[in-house]
Amino acid sequence: MNLLEILSYGFIQRALLAGTLIALLCSVLGVFLVLRRLSLIGDGLAHVTFGSTAIALALKFYSVMSLLVTMPIVLLASLGILKLTEKGRLSGDAAIGLVSALGISAGIILASVGGGYNVDLLSFLFGNILSIRSEEVVIAALLCLGVMLMLTLYYHELFAISFSDELAKVSGIRTSFINSILVLLTALSVVLAMKLVGIMLISSLLIVPAAAALQLARGFKACILLAALQGCSSVIIGIIISIMSNLPASASIVMVNLLFFAAACLIRRIKYPKYCN
Amino acid sequence: MVFKRCVVASLREKDFGFGMFGTRLREGDLVKILINVVVIIIACSAALFTAGCKKAEVKPEAGLQVVTTLFPLYDFARTIGGDKAQVTMLLPPGVEPHTFEPKPEDMIKISRAGLFVYTSKYMEPWAEKIITGIDSKTLRVVNAGERVSYRAGVRDDDHGLKGEEDREHGHDHGQKGMDPHVWLDFTNAALMVDTILDGFVAADPGNAVLYRHNAETLKKRLVTLDERYRKELSSCTTRKLLHGGHYTFGYLAHRYELEYHALSGISSDSEPSAERMAALVREIRSSGAKFLFAEELLSPRLTETLAQEAGVGVLMLHGAHNLSRDDQARNVTFFDLMERNLEQLRKGLQCRTK
Amino acid sequence: MPDEIVATELLTCSYREGRVLEDVSFQVKRGDYVGIVGPNGSGKSTLIKALLGLVTVGKGSAALFGTPLSAFRDWHRVGYLPQSLHLVNPVFPATVHETVSLGLLSLKRFPKRLNRADKDKINTILDELGILDLELKLIGELSGGQLQRVLLARAIVNDPELLVLDEPTAALDPETRGRFYAMIADINRSRGVTVLLVTHDSGAIGEHASKMLYLDKKILFYGSFDEFCCSPEMSSMFGEHSQHLMCHRH
Repeated sequence: MNLLEILSYGFIQRALLAGTLIALLCSVLGVFLVLRRLSLIGDGLAHVTFGSTAIALALKFYSVMSLLVTMPIVLLASLGILKLTEKGRLSGDAAIGLVSALGISAGIILASVGGGYNVDLLSFLFGNILSIRSEEVVIAALLCLGVMLMLTLYYHELFAISFSDELAKVSGIRTSFINSILVLLTALSVVLAMKLVGIMLISSLLIVPAAAALQLARGFKACILLAALQGCSSVIIGIIISIMSNLPASASIVMVNLLFFAAACLIRRIKYPKYCN
Repeated sequence: MVFKRCVVASLREKDFGFGMFGTRLREGDLVKILINVVVIIIACSAALFTAGCKKAEVKPEAGLQVVTTLFPLYDFARTIGGDKAQVTMLLPPGVEPHTFEPKPEDMIKISRAGLFVYTSKYMEPWAEKIITGIDSKTLRVVNAGERVSYRAGVRDDDHGLKGEEDREHGHDHGQKGMDPHVWLDFTNAALMVDTILDGFVAADPGNAVLYRHNAETLKKRLVTLDERYRKELSSCTTRKLLHGGHYTFGYLAHRYELEYHALSGISSDSEPSAERMAALVREIRSSGAKFLFAEELLSPRLTETLAQEAGVGVLMLHGAHNLSRDDQARNVTFFDLMERNLEQLRKGLQCRTK
Repeated sequence: MPDEIVATELLTCSYREGRVLEDVSFQVKRGDYVGIVGPNGSGKSTLIKALLGLVTVGKGSAALFGTPLSAFRDWHRVGYLPQSLHLVNPVFPATVHETVSLGLLSLKRFPKRLNRADKDKINTILDELGILDLELKLIGELSGGQLQRVLLARAIVNDPELLVLDEPTAALDPETRGRFYAMIADINRSRGVTVLLVTHDSGAIGEHASKMLYLDKKILFYGSFDEFCCSPEMSSMFGEHSQHLMCHRH
């Protein structure tokens, strides 16, 4: 199979473009999420998306219209997770698990109450990076722009709360507000990007590039840049590998990310042997 | 009401001593817990209400109780049974057989039934589990596909996926290899009707005459349908059946001598690689086809992507394993679906009418 | 009263275990160096946190720079060094420079940006505290004493008028401790910064503090260190030997 020939196909080009944009915003968001111990929020919110999509489909809100139902529910759920960590005295992972369980079980119950669908729910829900439409590339671009803009405007505040919630508060930063922005941006990204690239890819792009960057980065800004670099390059490399070896695209991208992580650990071991952790 | 009051009263004592957390509740927590309790109550009542509603719909048991899994079995069984049998379908509308999980209500329904009909262990992997789980002496189990010769969806790297006759009838060639959509070849469907009929006769010999009569009528209709298909698909511009989905229409293609190219294999979990997608697009372009087929009930995203890439339109074909909610409401039959398919095939393959 | 930096009035705070602070009333004047001492669980940290708006006040009131706490917004006038034990995640990828830059955020309006002048401020403070050579190191790579100085730099880089420290030397060895207190005293003297320092080590603090606040849910003593040493009530409370020990250094 001729690589150049395959690259001429529209669906491959869209996969590369939209995939890179989504990888960019996920890897940068991921740094903040991983440091705040909210790494699995991508997974958790995906489960909530499942539940709310069941509601949307049962109410006959199809394709784009389903967003009218799912978006507010998922945004609310993300704030709910935050509230649970603040007031409910739960740690991030427990809060995510709780809301995630609520999402899935509500979805299942409502699915059986709803009396069935016109389209299979699961096939409707999980995207495939090779089936992205042109309009969806625009959505990915807008989403990326919006998220990166917000992250840039609030960079120092987000840095401050990642370092220490307490110190941030005493610096006059509204920690609740900034935390809310972080999780809302994540919720927005999960709902929109899930349809495009599927949950496996989003969840891993939120976690793995950040994890690898944390191994090597010398400085917070450096950490974010490294994560972004890894995320974007993993999409390109992953898709190319999947073309040449005839493998599924999404899984290849995830594997490339994990290989990067392994490499980061190795480099760290070699470069800084005196640090045991 | 009493329950809630008790909960509230006990929570009022600050020294609740909730062992697990080792903390004492404050007033603010009370509100939170109350809200949770209310939500749980609402959820439970909703579930009970709907369960209750469903129970009310069930008619008093009269005649042979038959539970089927997939739509073709359901349609055949209710035709055979006429008004002497109560036939139900396990699969809720729109649901894919692979992702289906039988609920307690389903298990109860089956244990009370006289006949349980399923297609094959390939199509409904959970069916065998149900059977072993049910403890009933009066239940007869019908494997509707047992007389059918299965074909494997074999990958042929140069030409996409083709079908291949399996010499050993229905033997396990590895679960993933067998195409389970046997009813799309109407001679197979007729065999299934016979098998189901045997089940009916054995379970309810008193009405055997009626059942046999209904089955004969049904088989005649299948033969007629088969003839029509053969005639109308005899002179088509292209004999290539191009499908941007999972390997579903192998039997149909084989019967009417169409060259079937599917995007991916039997398993609905597999994700097609970029190469396969490109190959199908090349196939579409080179064959001069004006349409690409998609399967109903599944997400058409991939098919639409390929169709757009190749610059062709999309036509829907029904695999008939289940119905959409709307179709079910309109009481659509197997024959309705097959007529629909024929129309789509004629349009897509550009067949000429005599 | 521009001279009163901190003032509380019958401040009361409760946790789930019960009352932690009860009817605490005191004032701190500009330039004071107050050592807050007391046994474990006496509410010292809670007092600090209440003053900084980190815990909710049950009853009573507090004011910073003459403004009631609930209305106080000028956080750039305050520098805070919390107990560092639970603070720093060793994996956190920030350099010393970036960490100190966090201290400048209270001075900024939205959207917060750091410019050249800020970089110079950071370099100056790092130099002053003798840690300029650590500028590009990750905070996870620092020793306890170095980390403490970095956090101190962070707290004072924005030129605060009030510096609040919560057990800053708990994890340090005695020698480093002594140097740290000296540094604080220097900041207090040369920059005129009002200092509130919570510590277990009542002996060492006596060497530098101008006032002592002895807290055990309630204020048991508040006054100059000299008064503390000469007070007969204090000797009856602690026993003459302990009091002598604490005052010996002075």
